[in-house]
Amino acid sequence: MKRKVLSVLLSMTMLAGAAVGCGSAGTQSAADQLEAEGVTQIPAAQEETKEETTQAPSESAAQEEAQGIDLSDQVDLVFYVMGDAPQDEEMVEGAINEKLLEKCNATIDMQFSTWTDFQQKYANEITAQSADLIYIANWLNYGQLASSGAFEELDDMLDSVAPDLKALVGDANLNMCRVGGKIYAIPNTWPEYVCNGVKYREDLRAKYNLPVPDSLENLEAYLLGIQENEPNQGLLTVTTEESQGLKTGFDAAWALNFKYPWVANNGLDYGLAANYDSPADVYDYWYSDDFVDDMKLMKKWADLGFWSKSALSDTNNSDAYKNGLCVAEVAGQNPNKQITAIADFENAGEGWESGYVAYGETNGIIYPGHATQNGTAIVRGCKNPERALLVLQTLLCDDEVNALMQYGIKGTHYDVADGIYKNIQEEAGETPTFPYEGFNTWNLRNGDTKLPQRTDVALQEMFDKYAVLGEKTKFPNVNIYDGFSENYDTYSAERSAVSNVMRQYLAPLEAGLVDDVDAAVEEFRSKMKEAGIDKCREEYTKQWQAYCEEYSYK
Amino acid sequence: MSKDMDYEPTVQKTIKKSTGTKVFEAIAYTLLVLGSIICVLPFIIIVSGSFTDNTTILVKGYSLLPRDFTFSAYQTIFRSPKDILQAYKMTFYYTIVGTGLGLMMITLTGYVISRKEFKHRNTVSFLIYFTSIFGGGMIPWYLMYANVLNLKGSTIPIWFPALMSPFLVILMRTFIVGAVPDAITESAKIDGAGHFTIFFRIVLPVLKPGLATVGLFLALGYWNDWYRSSMFSTNSSTWQLQFYLYDLLNATTAMKQMASNVSMKTAELPTESVKLAMAVVATGPVLLFYPFVQRFFVSGITVGAVKG
Amino acid sequence: MRNKWIYGASVLCLILMLPFFNWIRVVNLVSLFSKIGVTKEMAGSLYTGYNLYNLLSFVQYANQGVLGLFAMVLLILAAAAIYFNAAYIIRGIFGIKKGKGELSLLAAGKCAFLFQFICAAATVVFVIFSNVKFRMTGFLPGIAVYLELVISLVSYIYIKFLEAKEREKYREHGLLVELKRNWVLFVMLIPTFVYFMINNYLPMLGVYFAFTSFNFRDGLWASPFTGFKNFEFLIKADLFRLTKNTVLYNVVFIGVGNVLQIIFAILVSRVTLKWFKKTSQTLMFMPYFVSFVILKVIVYNVFEYQYGLINNIVTSFGGERIDFYNNASYWPFLITFFYLWKNIGYGMVVYLATIMGIDNEIYEAARVDGANDLQQIWYITLPHIKPTFIILLLYALGSIMKGQFELFYQIIGNNGVLFNATDIFDTYVYRITMTQPLSIGLGTAAGLYQSLFGFFIIVIVNYVVKKKNPEYALF
Repeated sequence: MKRKVLSVLLSMTMLAGAAVGCGSAGTQSAADQLEAEGVTQIPAAQEETKEETTQAPSESAAQEEAQGIDLSDQVDLVFYVMGDAPQDEEMVEGAINEKLLEKCNATIDMQFSTWTDFQQKYANEITAQSADLIYIANWLNYGQLASSGAFEELDDMLDSVAPDLKALVGDANLNMCRVGGKIYAIPNTWPEYVCNGVKYREDLRAKYNLPVPDSLENLEAYLLGIQENEPNQGLLTVTTEESQGLKTGFDAAWALNFKYPWVANNGLDYGLAANYDSPADVYDYWYSDDFVDDMKLMKKWADLGFWSKSALSDTNNSDAYKNGLCVAEVAGQNPNKQITAIADFENAGEGWESGYVAYGETNGIIYPGHATQNGTAIVRGCKNPERALLVLQTLLCDDEVNALMQYGIKGTHYDVADGIYKNIQEEAGETPTFPYEGFNTWNLRNGDTKLPQRTDVALQEMFDKYAVLGEKTKFPNVNIYDGFSENYDTYSAERSAVSNVMRQYLAPLEAGLVDDVDAAVEEFRSKMKEAGIDKCREEYTKQWQAYCEEYSYK
Repeated sequence: MSKDMDYEPTVQKTIKKSTGTKVFEAIAYTLLVLGSIICVLPFIIIVSGSFTDNTTILVKGYSLLPRDFTFSAYQTIFRSPKDILQAYKMTFYYTIVGTGLGLMMITLTGYVISRKEFKHRNTVSFLIYFTSIFGGGMIPWYLMYANVLNLKGSTIPIWFPALMSPFLVILMRTFIVGAVPDAITESAKIDGAGHFTIFFRIVLPVLKPGLATVGLFLALGYWNDWYRSSMFSTNSSTWQLQFYLYDLLNATTAMKQMASNVSMKTAELPTESVKLAMAVVATGPVLLFYPFVQRFFVSGITVGAVKG
Repeated sequence: MRNKWIYGASVLCLILMLPFFNWIRVVNLVSLFSKIGVTKEMAGSLYTGYNLYNLLSFVQYANQGVLGLFAMVLLILAAAAIYFNAAYIIRGIFGIKKGKGELSLLAAGKCAFLFQFICAAATVVFVIFSNVKFRMTGFLPGIAVYLELVISLVSYIYIKFLEAKEREKYREHGLLVELKRNWVLFVMLIPTFVYFMINNYLPMLGVYFAFTSFNFRDGLWASPFTGFKNFEFLIKADLFRLTKNTVLYNVVFIGVGNVLQIIFAILVSRVTLKWFKKTSQTLMFMPYFVSFVILKVIVYNVFEYQYGLINNIVTSFGGERIDFYNNASYWPFLITFFYLWKNIGYGMVVYLATIMGIDNEIYEAARVDGANDLQQIWYITLPHIKPTFIILLLYALGSIMKGQFELFYQIIGNNGVLFNATDIFDTYVYRITMTQPLSIGLGTAAGLYQSLFGFFIIVIVNYVVKKKNPEYALF
């Protein structure tokens, strides 16, 4: 029986070969076929399908006057912002929509990400294309999102629909929002400085007559001085929380910024570095002698007991400074956090004082926040992009609407005294139902009309100081680094591996937890090579230099 | 059929305990006491921590008895009682609807795939089990509810996705196979009973421990979930309790981090003690409700009731 | 075995599936390429004809992500068709039969030809679909496809005819009769079907993302197809160590966990004081409610070097401080302990319920016969628990590559020093995806690896169990 079946199989095989063998042309390379047909050039693709949908409406709109866009149909827009909704969301929304209906025949519905899993939900929101207007920021990967086509291009529409908006924001700011030559977002117009630095306890410094920790040596002397006088006082509460990127692995290493006039805090990614004055000259840090010296310093600090031996897993850092558990914070600090600390210490009533030194004050490199720090974009797939932009213009440029949006209803939620914002409910000791910037629309800050809060006065003083310093740099008050977005499609596997080696080998090094620094550095470096750091660095440098070229940061 | 399933082993009362039994019981009691202490200690730390001042926790660490006794963590959590009551209400709603429907569907499915005469039972079991191994990930799942079904903002995507789980279905099948001998259903069938009759009259009554277990797991799943509110709620009036609490905490930590990038006011929250109070607030009701389920785990049933 | 020619048809089908035959021909090369934006350079890696196996290469090199999902479905269909045909032929040659007469064999044949037909028909639909997408006739089905269509259809009908005869002989019924007879059971399954369709099977299409490089411009289903690029990071990773860690931890968790759960369940069930029973059970359930976020903080405060509780105790007895957080060797034990601590009470419930389902008369009879406690447990309780235990074990095996992410992530966090002993697949993937926030493919690829790993293990184990005792099989 088996034999019978097998013989059938065989004959079938032959039959099939005969039947199809003559009919099939066989597999041939398309290039060869083209060659055979004598085709030398494939005519350029006419991208009918794509052009039809995106280009046509904006072109036709461009011919019309700005106010001439069709406002006859009411449009309901969804505005997606970060954070939690204020209690009086509906009331304020109602007031805004009343105005918007009148001015643009449109309404907005604010939707809030909440702070739980917000990165994930933000990406989902764009994938699902359910929102029209959306908050953007560099910490929400604006650059990558824009270059991957998440937002509508605004170049043409800005001229045709929202000339006021364009004038208000200004070309310099808009240019900073360009990705691949196109504008995808409208930044806010309130300049702020987020210069990282060191927060320290001014009262203790004065009490023991210690130096202001404005350099590595002084920081060491400051910490040693406190250690000597108050042996039970914790010094630094550092862990890996602020150091998750591709620059450092452990928070204490941020202090090294005192030493280097780099273009960005902690240098460039992948252990590269470039000075602010010559951003295109990328040089190596991790494989340099400086790095070994720095790691030895970290080891010395760790051995001196500046931080816990278990620091890599520390879970207590969040409120440590506020509660007097540590005397300095070196990672992720900025003027705004200093202001918060001052207020916290006032509340604590223990006579504590907080001081602040920006790294830039020592290394001479200070620049304001980048335009893409707070902006608004229109999500691709939005059915009425012109109207959305018009609404955005109204929200940002119309003082009345802007005030409603940012502060709520005057008389109910807030009042202005001496040009300073005052929350009525807060003053009365109640929980505010619409706090300052209650919709979390930091992207709608209008620099000309923004009402300062009480604490903003001290903040402004700091900003003014930095603005003066920023003027003295080679590129006066320009944030070079934050406008750059890396495209790592071609080396994402290496990049991931590099980040993993950082967690595993760089973090212990920077935390001074190794016995022999030289040997540990060697191991770290060889692991990096294995992970493919060279490929990452090569590509990254190329892109970075192209970016510097584009904006002529030379 | 017996109504009360509480069944005390009577024999032990009549026959005098042997030495072996005494030794065994002594060991059992000791081990259980030890186990209970290990399990409950951290919980005591949590409860006492929730009544301790936040700064004290940070400075002095955790303790078994509250130091610097304060209600401030609870005050923070309950600062808008209307909201938290709404969250409680919604969670009860999700838990009741989800557990009720889910238990129904799981039991029916378990019954079907435990029937020998159902030819495709292995195929169906496989198809159900398969979903526990393979999945398309969160994004297509999210888009299914948010875009395809357009349910974002409604309450359905909050309770629907947890109605069933392959684990519970297969667990239920095991319980049914264990509790209902084939002979009983066979004889019922010969008597002319249909599937629904067999299911409600014969299977359900002896399935109480199984129903209690699966129901408990389902209910706990609903009670502890925050993720679906996070994904699908557009309005705080549909939030689950756990999400209400969890988001309170996330808001503080996230805003603190955010403040490195954006000039903004960070909310004041005694994080450590609130974290602990949250655990208490969320667990409390379950501990109240647990004894009701527990009676199915602490006293046996007798299949004899069915036979007779 | 009169109808051996039907095997010939099956073989023919298989032969036609061989890569020499073009299933899809590319026509109007120049205008197609110009339409879809293929340059002369790209044409170098394209062909004039494709079979189902290299069709995805067209999708990739011509940068036509729109066709990707469909092409992938075709590939899976082709694999299924080959599998079922091969199985059918092998069973035919060796005469493997189960059950009554040739029915099972015929069912296998039906399955083979059905899939063959679907595969060919889907190819035709694919051609139509892509032509509509490109708004021109760029593809045509190859001759092999038409042949397949005819052969499989004719063979299927023929088998149906054979089957009807065979059924009559053995008085077996088909699906329709089954539906009619057991319609109640099918109705009971409808809600389940709807649920799993919506919640699991339809979203499962997302597995396709593992092979694409997502961008918003093209959207989810039209993003460029990139083959196995998303899996590269797995090769870059120390995959062996990660797999070993994950599997070992899970084996310990499952093994020790179940044993302890059973022990405590039995203890609780044997204790006579009712209030004690209830209280101890409740107390042991409580750790389940302690979230890992809280646990992390408590653990840190216990094991910290300078101020930690344990080191305080150790030093007060004059001992040396123990540097837990810089020494990986402690953590496998600690992690296992916390896992068990958290899950004993929860897992115990299942066993407790099973024990409570045991007829009390059995125990009574045993007691009358003079069996002591241990004997009762050994001869009555344990055998009754066995099915539950095996099912739970089997079930857990499918997820053997899926680690307890929260447990590891919260307790170990970013402490690279401990990674050698505590890094599991999930934590590694999490760190990787953190560096590539917008990559959907990476996570999906990782999930696919875990799923396939678990799937193969469970299929093998289930097969073995089924051989030994079909009662205990999972499916």
